[in-house]
Parts: sequence; structure tokens; C-alpha cells
Amino acid sequence: MSTTATNNKQVSRRRAFSKRDKITLGFFVGIPTALHLALVWIPAIATIGLSFTYWTGIQYSNIRWAGLGNYKNIFFSTPAFYDALQNNVIWLLWFFLIASPLGVLLAYQIDRQIRGHKFYQSAYYMPVVLSLAVTGIIWNFMLRPDGFINGLLGRDIDNAVSFFGNYDINIYVIMVIASWRHIGYIMLLYLAGLKAIDSSLREAAAIDGATEWETFRKIIFPTMKPVNIIIVVITMIESLRAFDIVYIIYGTSAGLPILGILVFQNIAGEGASMKGAAYAVILFVLSIGPIIAYLAQQFKEDVK
Amino acid sequence: MTTPDKLLSRRSVLKGSAAGALGIAAVGGLAACSSDSDGASGGAAVTGPIAFGARTVDEQPTLQLRALVDAYSAKTGNEVTYNATESNAFQNNLSQYLQGTPDDTFQWMAGYRMQFFAEQGLLVDLSDVWAEIGDQYDESYKIASTGLDGKQYFVPQSWYPWGMHFRKSMFADLGLDADSVTTWDEFLSMLDGMKSKGLIGFAAGDKGGWEAMGTFDIINARTNGYQFHVDLLAGREEWTDDRVLQVFKNWEQLLPYMNTNVLDLEWDGATQLLLQKKAGTVLMGSWFAGDFKAQSDEDYFDLSIIPFPEINPEHGRDTIDAPIDGFCVAANGGNNAGGIDLIKFAGDMEGVQAMLDTGVPMTSANRGQDTSTYDAFQKEQLAVMAEAQYITQFLDRDTRPDFAGPVVGPAIQSWFRNPNDVNKILESLQAQWEALPPLS
Repeated sequence: MSTTATNNKQVSRRRAFSKRDKITLGFFVGIPTALHLALVWIPAIATIGLSFTYWTGIQYSNIRWAGLGNYKNIFFSTPAFYDALQNNVIWLLWFFLIASPLGVLLAYQIDRQIRGHKFYQSAYYMPVVLSLAVTGIIWNFMLRPDGFINGLLGRDIDNAVSFFGNYDINIYVIMVIASWRHIGYIMLLYLAGLKAIDSSLREAAAIDGATEWETFRKIIFPTMKPVNIIIVVITMIESLRAFDIVYIIYGTSAGLPILGILVFQNIAGEGASMKGAAYAVILFVLSIGPIIAYLAQQFKEDVK
Repeated sequence: MTTPDKLLSRRSVLKGSAAGALGIAAVGGLAACSSDSDGASGGAAVTGPIAFGARTVDEQPTLQLRALVDAYSAKTGNEVTYNATESNAFQNNLSQYLQGTPDDTFQWMAGYRMQFFAEQGLLVDLSDVWAEIGDQYDESYKIASTGLDGKQYFVPQSWYPWGMHFRKSMFADLGLDADSVTTWDEFLSMLDGMKSKGLIGFAAGDKGGWEAMGTFDIINARTNGYQFHVDLLAGREEWTDDRVLQVFKNWEQLLPYMNTNVLDLEWDGATQLLLQKKAGTVLMGSWFAGDFKAQSDEDYFDLSIIPFPEINPEHGRDTIDAPIDGFCVAANGGNNAGGIDLIKFAGDMEGVQAMLDTGVPMTSANRGQDTSTYDAFQKEQLAVMAEAQYITQFLDRDTRPDFAGPVVGPAIQSWFRNPNDVNKILESLQAQWEALPPLS
């Protein structure tokens, strides 16, 4: 925005603004800032504050100072926290090692205009336009004991294949569902980046005798750095904030504990306690920490 | 019934001035709209519109509630808007709902869950309503409708017992006499017989995390008695007690007769097994009978119920989970006078009759419902109730809400997954109870 004038020009610039400009600018800057503060920062800071209290969420007069009580409870007395952490880590690894690379691969193939690429592109992209909740509903219909797949297999509910109730595999069932959407998302982001690459780069590489893999590794991938950063950040955020699909399938029961569910379970309903706020703060720190570290390192390299 | 005042004394209440000292009070603007509850101005004629909030979107109960609302509108000429919310979502949002702009009259549950919100000043005192219609109810319902301050905040609609449901035709085919199955051994040998015929003896679902709480309630009450059960849920007994371990040992004896996918099925999956005649019995609240009725009258009239068998002769079959559902008036509703008028109609026999006239099975709390008009299944429910001396609501209505849902539910699920971990699970339950914040 034009307010980011450099110091030496500031004086002259400022004079250039008419009164009307100032009002207009004030609106443009002020309203989003106010909304941002009111809807993001104040609730976030309030959540952090409340995580150090005991409160059922109803009357302000009932707020009691808890110190680290909620955190101690989570870390030392709540086995579900570690189950959830484990599932979120699996989620993160799966997305990083399987889903995101697959999205990149698909984008690359489609960009190479393999036969039927338009069909593949729309097929893979379609799940992305569906909200995560809808994704959950669709797959719930498919996989539950009286669902489509079990119907197809001719199984009744008493001997149905257990997709959601077998706790040894259900995280992977959910991973397949989540990937169904995530792959298309990553593919689209990457595809947009690939389209912007100057084709002469590829031609030059081809003339120099580079193989397809060498071209990708040494030319395309480094050129795509801005997109890569976005994908890393998105993958991290998507895996940590995971909630919708699991909530649609399991509700708040412990079928598949993940941090997002624990936040909700402890902050909503009659069982509300600020333990939920503490979970939210933990989730926040887990999400923001690695992202800041990663971005800081990336930008430092850029400056060099 | 559990008295939450005892729960309150479980821990010393945190004192100290720390309360508002966080500066978080500044967040006031974020809180739900402040309440300007316009109290029922005495004498003024009640006018519409009145908003009614239903805690269900299921077909059968909706028919019933709509009939109630329509009958009220027809009688008074007051317009009533009917808002329905799926029951889990309704429960999860209730705190926010009641602090925001709730419906005037809404559907809720008796006991602890009502008292909690009454304590917070979110419900309207209905003592005047009880003064008018109270003589239509037995004393036990009045107690269940009473808050900790001794005033009434709830008008009961119906109750249902949790018991062993079975199909008469199946028992006839199997040559079984339900009334002769009264002891644990008889029960187990009956299940054994069903198993040998390829049937599931004891259908169960616990995907939702709450369904199996009913099984825990009844096995605990049968094994250790009403008092122990109530004391345990109130924190006066410990989960690591050998008596609790015994409950799970007894429960474990039922596992071979259960469907193998307990964690895949929700309550309706378990009752579906009974409907499809794949299972011999299911422990459930009788409310699900509406689904059988929706299927066909034949299925409904085939349904029957007996009490859960005796385990410890000392306690016989003296306890039963029999939750009461009903209505409350929200203090922050726009039309308190209207809400009170509607709830009075709902509690009065006239309103009850409107619901009964829909033909959807209901065992009303109102004494005016002529029990001679009960169908056979309802009469059996009444008999099951009559045998019990002690009535509990349900685990998630009888203990702290921040313990029942987030702690007990997952614990039972992990027990289903690995029954051998029972000691670890019970230790964790006790540790998590002790880690609960003090009730303010």
C-alpha cells in the first residue's frame, strides 16, 4: 500500500495527499485493521489469557486464576493429549512425505500435457472445491458400516469392514480421505507456478542434455522456490489445524483424537473449561513456531 | 439422584481475588450479547411470537413437538416459530445459545444438566408454573425439575427406562422365556444359547462415546449398588477401587456375546441389529422404539423390555437409568412471558394430549396420561420402572460434564479396544478426576 513510503520521501508524499485521500486511505487501512484486531488478535490474546484460568465460559465473575493448572492437567494427566499429538504428527508426516509430493508430481505430469491431462486436472481438482466438512460427509457415506463400500461388498452391519472403528488403521483411512482433497490443492498451486516458468529454461536444459529428472531437480524445483515455500507452510497448517473431517465422522468422541478435536471438546458444550483454551494455545505454538522458523530462514537466504 | 451440591463440596473452592484480575474483562465486547431479559410483566396478556427450540431433527419426535406447538397456537392464537437443531450440535452450543438470543422455550434434560444452567442465571424460574400444574406430576419429577436454590426451572415431557430390549418373536423362536432370565448366570447362559445359534447376544455400539455409559451405569449399580454408583460419580469413591475393577470384569464376560464392531456402530447401529433380528438383546433407552414404529407397527409391537439381570443378590434389580426429558425457558429469550405460557401448556395435560394424539409412542411424565391406554410395550416399560427403587439419570447427566464426555467416554472406548488395560485405564480415570478444576 502507498503508506509504505520511504523516509526521505515521506514529507513530500504526505503533502500530496488531499483531505479526501486521507479519509479514503483511513477507511481502507482502518476498517481492515479494526476488523483484524477485533476478530483475530483480541480473541487470540484473550484465549492465551483464559488458558491460565478455570472458567466454564458463562459468567465473568466465575473466572478463577489457575496458573499453569490447565497445562499441568494436559501434560501430566491427560493421555488423550499424547494420542492426539501422535496422530497430528502422523498427519504431518503423511502430508509431507506422501500427499504433497504426489500433488507436485501430478502437477508436473499435467504441465507436461500428457494425454488426457485436462480430464485429470479437473478430476483431481474437484475435491478441492468441496469444503472439508462435505468431504467428511461423502466419505462417511462411503465407508461406514452401512455405507456404499460395505454394501458393494455385500456386508451387513454386523460383519462390515471396519474402516472407522479399528483404531489401528483408522488414522490411515482418514489420511486417505484428507489426501484426496490435499493432493488436488497442492497440484493446483504447483501447476500455477509451473505455467509461469519460462519455457526457454527447459529448452536450454534439454539442449544441454539434461534428463527429465535432472531438469526437474536442478532447474524447475529451484525456480519454483516461492511456490515451494507456500506449499510447505500450507501443508504444515493443514495438518495441524485438521478438524472438520474427523469431527464429521467421529463427533467429539475419542474415535480419533487430534488436537483440533480436543480444543473443541473442551471448550464447547457443558463440559467447557479453559483446558480447551490451553489446548488451543498449544496448537497455536506448534503451528506458528515451525512456520516462523522456516520463513525466517528462507528470507535470510533471500537477503544473502 | 445425584445431588450436585455434594459435588460442589468435593473440593475446596478456590478463593482469592484473582478472579477478574486478568485484564481479560476488557474482552467484554466479545461476549455474547448482554441480556436484557424482559421479565414476565405480571398480568399482561401473553402475545406472540414465541420461539420454540427443539433438540432433535429426527422424524418421530419432530412430529410430536410440532403437534404440541400447533396445538398451542391453535388454542391461544399466539404465533410460535419452531426451530430445530440436531441434538449433538444443540448440546455443544447450549452455553453460547443461552447467552445469546435463544428461543423462548427449549427442549432440555432434567437433573444436573438443567441445574448447571439454572445456577448461571440462564433459565427462568418456573415455580409459578409448577404451582399451577404441579399436581399433575409425582413428587420425583418435581425434584428432578428443581434447581439447587429450591426453585423449579424445568417442566418434564417424558421419561424412558434403560433396559434389555428384545423381540418377542425371536424369543419365541428360540424357546426363551424372558421373565425367567433374572440372574447373571441365567443371562449369560441365555447369551450363550444365542451365540450357539449364530446370533449376537448383546448388541452394542459406542462410536459416539456415550452409548456404553449406560452399560457401565447398570453393571455398576447391579454389582456395587446404587449408593456406590452415585458416590463414585460424585467423586466420593475412587475409580481405582477394586469394586470398579469388578464392574469391568463382569462387563468383560459380555464381550464374547457382543458384535465385534462396537466402536464402529453408534446407538442406532446397535438397535438396527435388533431390528434386523441379528441380535437377541440390546441395552438401550426405550426412546428408540419410535424408530421401530416408523419401520412398521409389527416391529414396534414385537418389542419388549426386561430389567438388566441381577448380579449381586444384595442389590437385586433395584436401580435403573431413567432419564427425564422436558423443557426450559431461556432467561435471555425475547419473550419470557410467552415462553412461560408455552411451557405451561406443554406441561399441562392438554399439551401432553396433543403430543400423544400423534400416535408417536411416549411415556409421559404427566400423571394424567392414562396408563390403561398404554400399549403393551409401554406397560412393560412401566413394569421395569416399578421394580426399581432407585432411579439414576445417566452417567453424563449424573457427573461433572467436563468429566463425562471428555474423560469417561474415551476411557470406555479404549477399554473396548483393549480390555486387558483395565487397570491402567482406571488409574488414568482417577488421575483425570483429580486433575479437574475446582467448581467455582
